[in-house]
Amino acid sequence: MHAQSIKNSQTLSIRSKLSQAYQAHAYCFAVISRFFAAIVGGYTFTAVFTALLSIILPLKKSDAVLLSISLTILVYSCVFIWAFAVKSLPKIWITILLTTSGCALILSLLKGWL
Amino acid sequence: MKESFFRSMTWMHTWVGLLVCWLLYLIFFAGTVSFFRDEITLWNQPALHNVQAPEQRVAQQRSQIISGINYLQNAGPESTRWGIYLPTERKPQLNYAYEKPRPEGKRFGGWQEHNINPQTGDEIAQTRDTRGGNFFYRLHFDLHYIDVRTARWIVCFASLFMLVALISGVVIHKRIFKDMFSFRANKGSRSWLDGHNVSSVLALPFHIMITYTGLITLIFMLFPYPAMTAYEDGIRGLFNDVSPTNVRTKTSPDSAPLIAIDTILDQVYTNWPDADLTQISIRDPNKASATITVRADTASLVRDQTPTLLFNGVDGSLIAKTAAQLTNTEVFYDSLTALHTGRLANPLLRWLYFLCGVAGCVMIATGCIMWAKRIRERMKKDQPATIGLKLVEGLNLATLMGLPLATCAFFIANRLLPMTTPERADKEILAFFVTWLAVALFALFKRARPQWILLAWINGIACISVPVINALTTNGNLISYLLNGQWALFSFDLMCLVFAALFVIQAKKIPTHTPAKTPQQRARRSAKTKLQEQS
Repeated sequence: MHAQSIKNSQTLSIRSKLSQAYQAHAYCFAVISRFFAAIVGGYTFTAVFTALLSIILPLKKSDAVLLSISLTILVYSCVFIWAFAVKSLPKIWITILLTTSGCALILSLLKGWL
Repeated sequence: MKESFFRSMTWMHTWVGLLVCWLLYLIFFAGTVSFFRDEITLWNQPALHNVQAPEQRVAQQRSQIISGINYLQNAGPESTRWGIYLPTERKPQLNYAYEKPRPEGKRFGGWQEHNINPQTGDEIAQTRDTRGGNFFYRLHFDLHYIDVRTARWIVCFASLFMLVALISGVVIHKRIFKDMFSFRANKGSRSWLDGHNVSSVLALPFHIMITYTGLITLIFMLFPYPAMTAYEDGIRGLFNDVSPTNVRTKTSPDSAPLIAIDTILDQVYTNWPDADLTQISIRDPNKASATITVRADTASLVRDQTPTLLFNGVDGSLIAKTAAQLTNTEVFYDSLTALHTGRLANPLLRWLYFLCGVAGCVMIATGCIMWAKRIRERMKKDQPATIGLKLVEGLNLATLMGLPLATCAFFIANRLLPMTTPERADKEILAFFVTWLAVALFALFKRARPQWILLAWINGIACISVPVINALTTNGNLISYLLNGQWALFSFDLMCLVFAALFVIQAKKIPTHTPAKTPQQRARRSAKTKLQEQS
């Protein structure tokens, strides 16, 4: 009884170590993924969104561009913070991919690239 | 990311801040120093110390420009670019410059500069080869020794992290108003947190403004996409649209006499009757494609784009001028850049900019010290420090104490290097980086309290030695500057003494050993903090 429990606890400890190692890496991966979403995803979304903004704003051409350029940093930092505020990682990636491709689609339709 | 929004933001604030804090400290430090760019350049150039701006500064500009053209016609008739830089309120000397012949494959050959005493019209001899305040200005966004474009991308990302850290910092700061007035000294990492809060909150609008607008100054590199979408030829198209004086004509090989500058100046003063001109630049002088650009001061308007007139250099016709009235968006965009560069600032506002910049440096410094302190406090007594903690502590010591020392070394090198040293300006910069490297190597081996105290003393001595060496090697000193009313130089020396005093106070204030806390004290303290948190 006693010996079994020691054996059990040994296998348990090996298992828990393995799962700990996995969890540690999973955490690491989740953090890297989140930073990646915030930096690269945020950048791509901001780029496409402000590019779209520059042609749909009802202003003179140069004014529309200057205004969208002035707003880029605001958009980028909001997306960045949002990427850290939301709990679920897949949700972040899906939202960023969907909104970015949505903006890109409208942009290319408006510019006649498609 | 974590259980609650608050905790996610705390996590993000810590890590985003810690990742880039040393680079941010460099950027903030160099940027803060650059608010006094012209004054530092003046200090670094003792030959200009006794040059006084003429009393009727604006009235003399016409004759200065005419003699400048004559001078450049003799000195560099073959050059591709001429520049005449008129004295301003912050810069006493008159400067004539022409571009040196371009080496193969280079787009710019560097300026051959001539400094002129505006009161006598004589060339000022014995100017030394130095970058002066421009070194810090460039260091602020171009770093050094690495490719400019790469450097700017790195700086942009660090600034973005800064902005994100600032916003999340506000979010996690629950008692933003109450904490503004609380500073609990000698309470370990709690004091550092208070210091971090005070320096952040007091100058918070400045921090957010300067980071946002800083990113805006590099926005065409960071986000060229709106311009690329709206204009066929991208950013160039936007620039040509916004500033009509930006047009660039192709260099023609045919020579043609440059028009008499009087004709141009007559037109300038008809357009702008009481203009305070700052700069005349001439491209392709004595060629058929010559153009003359005249720039005037923006005065204290929140504008960064200078009023500009562009003339044809052969027939004297006006090619383009900046719009007198900007659209609302142009005003918005332009004022963002203007707020960052602070060229609009009068002396009082400039000092305020400087103080806010210092607060920013303190904010970053206390932030990175606090991280290491917290980890240390949570560690058990004989627990060895992790690599990460050692790295942070080492970088803290190397950056926070190394950068001021390197700056002192830069100024001392400016005075002590022989005038005939080849590539003297580069040697001054070398002195800066070698000193910094030395501190970093030192921090690699030891980075505990005694080393902080030692470096604080060394920094204090270095700060005092700057005005002392200045007094020994030049004709002026702190007292003579005060008596002659040379305020820029006086303030420079005085600031060295102020920082010396601060470093001495720092050296005295750092406790040489931690009083070992008894378990009872610790329990009492945690009970107290719990009470405070509940209330």
